[in-house]
Amino acid sequence: MFQLPTVQFTEEQEAFRLEVRNFLQEHIKKGTFTPKCDSWLSGVDPSFSKLIGEKGWIGMTWPKKYGGQERSTIDRYILTEEFLASGAPVAAHWFADRQTGPLLLRYGTEEQKQFFLPKIAKGECYFAIGLSEPNSGSDLASVRTRAEKVEGGWIVNGQKIWTSNAHICHYMIALVRTSPFDGKYKHAGLSQLIIDLRAEGVTIVPIKFLTGEHHFNEVFFDNVFVPDNMVVGEIGNGWEQGLAELAFERSGPERILSTYLLVDELVQELKRQGNKEGLKQAAKLLSRLWGLRNLSIGVAKLLESGDAKNVAIPASLVKAIGTKFEQSVPEVARLLVETYPKLDAERKFDRYMAQSILHSPGFTIRGGTTEILYGMVAKGVVAK
Amino acid sequence: MSEMKEMILDVAERMLEDHVTKDVVDVLEKGEWAKDVWKLFEDNGMISVAVPEEKGGAGGDLEDLLNLVRLTGKYAAPIPFAETTFANFLLETGNLETVDQVATYSLQEGLSLQNGQISGTLDNVPWARHAKHLVALVQKQIALIDLADATIQPGSNMAGEPRDTVILNNAKVQSSSLLTDEQIFHLKSIETAFKIALMTGAIEKINQLSVQYSKEREQFGRPIHRFQLVQYQIAQLAGETAIALAAFNNVCAAVQSDKVLHEIAFARIRFEDAITTVTAVSHQLHAAIGTTHEHALHQYTRRLWSWRDEGTSADYWSGHIADYLLNHDDDLWAYLTKTTGAAVKN
Repeated sequence: MFQLPTVQFTEEQEAFRLEVRNFLQEHIKKGTFTPKCDSWLSGVDPSFSKLIGEKGWIGMTWPKKYGGQERSTIDRYILTEEFLASGAPVAAHWFADRQTGPLLLRYGTEEQKQFFLPKIAKGECYFAIGLSEPNSGSDLASVRTRAEKVEGGWIVNGQKIWTSNAHICHYMIALVRTSPFDGKYKHAGLSQLIIDLRAEGVTIVPIKFLTGEHHFNEVFFDNVFVPDNMVVGEIGNGWEQGLAELAFERSGPERILSTYLLVDELVQELKRQGNKEGLKQAAKLLSRLWGLRNLSIGVAKLLESGDAKNVAIPASLVKAIGTKFEQSVPEVARLLVETYPKLDAERKFDRYMAQSILHSPGFTIRGGTTEILYGMVAKGVVAK
Repeated sequence: MSEMKEMILDVAERMLEDHVTKDVVDVLEKGEWAKDVWKLFEDNGMISVAVPEEKGGAGGDLEDLLNLVRLTGKYAAPIPFAETTFANFLLETGNLETVDQVATYSLQEGLSLQNGQISGTLDNVPWARHAKHLVALVQKQIALIDLADATIQPGSNMAGEPRDTVILNNAKVQSSSLLTDEQIFHLKSIETAFKIALMTGAIEKINQLSVQYSKEREQFGRPIHRFQLVQYQIAQLAGETAIALAAFNNVCAAVQSDKVLHEIAFARIRFEDAITTVTAVSHQLHAAIGTTHEHALHQYTRRLWSWRDEGTSADYWSGHIADYLLNHDDDLWAYLTKTTGAAVKN
């Protein structure tokens, strides 16, 4: 259960990596964006997303007829790594690219695929994830937002919370209850609906992040009508469908590299100082990053070969251990190079330090808390 | 890895499973070793895996050999398999004829070579008392010595494995060959890869023992794996095991493609974390029974505690990475993602 494939990049893949890297470097120089830690989730820039869409770099693994490029999972892995390492503002389209696309390709109707995927690929259509509710966090299956069948569609009532970037998104894939809650079979009766966030009865209220940034939202549904053709997959199959996407959500390089810019700046500072002892300590961080990256790429390769059965445990491990690593970076770095962390500091090291520290509490919570993940891993290991 | 390779490894694993029981591992502490297991390995051509067929070996490659070494680590096999095969790897590197009998090696400094004779003292040489040959690095030369020409004082590491003092007093060099600095660095890399293989095996076994124990042991009327704090321990062990195996497989892939860049260094440094976590957490999970000689856990934790301070150290590799970073201007990310860097070859 722990044997993962190793990946050696081909020459074409190396060339692609350089192409992406050069593109991003060019745009940093031009001032198109300023690199920031954790920008895959907090760096919203629709015009940059459109630029990425024009390059064919959103939905790049999807079929061409839906606006994709039919490239490999490993190509996409390389692309996302380069975005993360350069701190590019890719948050607007991130969820649509990572989750909505694969979900619709697997469960969506032809109409849904034709309508949504090309727009997503162009970087013009963004999706929010509608999972958590005020009383349903880790215990997700207890969600209470409900949809009632009416002529031609569903009427949705309820509330979602911690919805990243809902205020700039066009749609949400919401997990809702389409049959009454049954404590014995709480995973049953759940369905996934595409909800137009501009529809009547939808209210989006910001929740300020601890820095004051607007990132999270509460989303209220008051008799919101959702037409039948916006049901994803089967009614009542929402839990299963959602689970299938979790491996993608949990195993990507964004679970390792949210604070990479600080690692990079740490090494540069130590090099400037000629500090060999410090670099030896930094080498430990690099070895942890290397170890996690092996795991994460191995899962990507496994997903590509369609071996979804064996990915749940390693994918959860990438998220649980990777996010702890991300959190540890500022803690290690601040003891090696003197710093006064400040969000508006001139010096990159101080700025990245402040971004990393202030964003780090979220790393081990979003996308499944470490506690839930470890519980899943342990149960999986014991069951084998 | 090819299916053929997997078959060979399956055969080896079954052999070890059947023949290397807890009691067999214990014989080391009585000053004996598992000669019959050695014989089995010999009969199955496993001692000469990775020695080319034209030189009388069994064929196969370094990846096969490293996986066999991993398995000997997984069963704590009380045979000098890693030592003999690495000694032969040293001879191969020096273009010298390989040996058939038990051999050991040393990359330590402190020997001197004069007129075809070697003098000096080597500490903690693995398995010397049971070995016929010693392959040692002496002033950039690889030299083969007959241990009948040495004085051997027995000693052991924390796991009870033979680690002997070898005193050489004008011992005759049987064959020797001068190596380049690159070759010597490569030897250290491969020696470290062998160590990584052994450690990976031991970590796999500790993880296995721990999961098994968490299912067997009941307290408060249920198996202990049902408790969330124990689940946290199980998950930590799973994580370190997955990382160790992935690191090992990536080291194998790098060695096999002859493009070793930083894989061995990073793996070796990362194993320090893995060993700290795995030994502490597995003992805590096993509680009192795990601290007894009767239980098998210590056969693996004591080995990890010993092996991490033997051979080329994690500190050496951290220094190696630090030096590289100090002396190169390339961007860190380019360095980390470069997989086809300067090939280190024989």
